[in-house]
Amino acid sequence: MHNSSGDARTVAAVIEVEDLAKSYRVFDKPEGLAASVKSLFHRPSRTVEALKGVSLTVGRGEFVALLGPNGAGKTTFLKLLSGIITPTRGTARVLGHVPWERADDFRRRFALVMGQKNQLWWDLPAAESFRLHREIYRIEPGRFERTRDELVDLLGVRKLVLQPVRDLSLGERMKLELVAALLHEPEVLFLDEPTIGLDVVAQHALHQFLAHIQVERRMTIVLTTHYMKDVAALCHRAIVITDGSILYDGSLDQIVDRFTTHKIVTLDLDGTPTAADFAHLGFPCEVRGPRVTLRIDRQRIADVLPEILRGRQVRDVSVEDVPLEEIVAALFRSGAAGAARAPAEARA
Amino acid sequence: MARYFSIFLTFARACLVRDMTFRANFVLECLTSLGWMSMNLAFYLLVFQFTPEIGKGTGWTREPFFAFVATGLIINSIVQALFMPSAEELTEMVRTGGLDGVLVQPLDAQFLLSMHRVDFSSFANGLVGVGLLGWAVSRMDHTPPATAWLLYPFLILCGVAILYALVIMLAAATILLGRNQSLYDFWFYLTNFSRYPAEIYAGPWGGPLRALCTFVIPILLVVNVPARVIALPLEGQAWGLVWLAVTAAMASLVVSRIVFQTALAKYRSASS
Ligand SMILES: Nc1ncnc2c1ncn2[C@@H]1O[C@H](COP(=O)(O)OP(=O)(O)OP(=O)(O)O)[C@@H](O)[C@H]1O
Ligand SMILES: [Mg+2]
Repeated sequence: MHNSSGDARTVAAVIEVEDLAKSYRVFDKPEGLAASVKSLFHRPSRTVEALKGVSLTVGRGEFVALLGPNGAGKTTFLKLLSGIITPTRGTARVLGHVPWERADDFRRRFALVMGQKNQLWWDLPAAESFRLHREIYRIEPGRFERTRDELVDLLGVRKLVLQPVRDLSLGERMKLELVAALLHEPEVLFLDEPTIGLDVVAQHALHQFLAHIQVERRMTIVLTTHYMKDVAALCHRAIVITDGSILYDGSLDQIVDRFTTHKIVTLDLDGTPTAADFAHLGFPCEVRGPRVTLRIDRQRIADVLPEILRGRQVRDVSVEDVPLEEIVAALFRSGAAGAARAPAEARA
Repeated sequence: MARYFSIFLTFARACLVRDMTFRANFVLECLTSLGWMSMNLAFYLLVFQFTPEIGKGTGWTREPFFAFVATGLIINSIVQALFMPSAEELTEMVRTGGLDGVLVQPLDAQFLLSMHRVDFSSFANGLVGVGLLGWAVSRMDHTPPATAWLLYPFLILCGVAILYALVIMLAAATILLGRNQSLYDFWFYLTNFSRYPAEIYAGPWGGPLRALCTFVIPILLVVNVPARVIALPLEGQAWGLVWLAVTAAMASLVVSRIVFQTALAKYRSASS
């Protein structure tokens, strides 16, 4: 067992990644019969660089979000860290092990949950899969039952354990997948889009559960998702990957500080304001009925706000940061622009 | 070891529960395979109406030949029940990326992939095989000695091991190629060679074929060696075959293990 005593502030590195890269050789299937016959002799292939040299460290007990547009390399990264695939270049250590050596001692200590894939036996109740899990992970029976009951109650799925998995809804199944993954009390948990396809209520339940379990067990979690709500609710640290490279790695708050130059001021006024009333300020302005929205430079907000309010009948006012979604979307786009300049794929 | 056995039992139990849930399907599967087998047996009976012996002087007269067929049924039913369903499912797992989930578990992947499904309906053929063997042996001119009865189950195991190694190689090819239907047809053609006594492979092209299927892909040893031990006198040449079968079984297991591990290291994992 690992040593969990000691100063909570010392961040022991649980995941250490250095220049990790993965490329795939893919063969294009040509259209048409003539081309197909020709491809029997010479198959045109190219190299897809799914991950282009990523370096990072994650400490024990961190909850990290991995963000990025479709095809950025997030799933590839998690597959490498789980030892499912072998990298083309670079090194990685998770809990002191090289993942793709697939040592049993390593595999007993982490779990991977993929939102689009089903790990439970389809035709049988989840309880059967749990039993198998107990045997595979050699969980001591008393401990197994305690953990299972705790997890099942936390997620409110006790009644579903005895129902064949194929009869469950997506959200219910996802919760049971999570229970299965956590039965052996992993120290590291990789989640690949766990909330995909879930409704708002189920998403919320999952967030609460993850937040709770992560603190309680001091688990290290890496999560990929496309929902900013997941991230804002759970993670302090966000890593943005686009096109196989890290674009940003830092706290969520700093994303806002670093990548936005302005705040959004919303006013609810008496009467019918027009855009012309605010034109002299020189900031982008949008008017909808009595509501005015202005984008104002962060540095100047203290000077400008009093000026705006002066002499107006204001019913309500709010000053907010640009929504996270918007910032991240801009980040994704800037990454894509960078990629367009560099040669993305080498012809072979 | 004990852990692996208990995991296997858990798999077997789960498959039994599943089979019992879809009972009608289970009965139908038993009937289909029994029907197919009886048609084969009827065909052999027909053949023996025209000839007293398969190949002159080989000793494969009617009863010994049916002991041969029974041995084939037993071995094939074990392989069909224990390994084939898992191997067939592997194709699907590679295509959909379901294999990912297996690779993260602290368990030997080859074990999990080759044993996680048991097809109980295939045992039906094996039971018929045992019955047929009893019938054939009791009516043979030659009475097998005690040594033959001791060797027989062991050589059956060797035969199963050789076929298992072949399944594992095909599974490895599935992992490397990403998808693999033709290779299971390949399996069918190959095992076809094991269905008849080795003596029928004679002549200018039969001889080399026999050598190939004995020493390179030892498919001819699978049924022939145990069947010969029980059905024909245990003398001179038979002992050489016994050693050959044991060596071939060991070598196949080792080689298939190496090939499978290499394939796993090269696994690409379907994108999702
Ligand atoms: N097995 C594979 N064979 C060939 N190319 C692959 C394979 N797996 C991934 N890729 C390619 O690598 C790139 C990264 O894929 P990856 O699945 O990691 O993206 P992702 O960030 O998880 O995207 P998404 O948000 O859509 O899930 C993609 O361009 C994909 O086409
Ligand atoms: Mg993905």
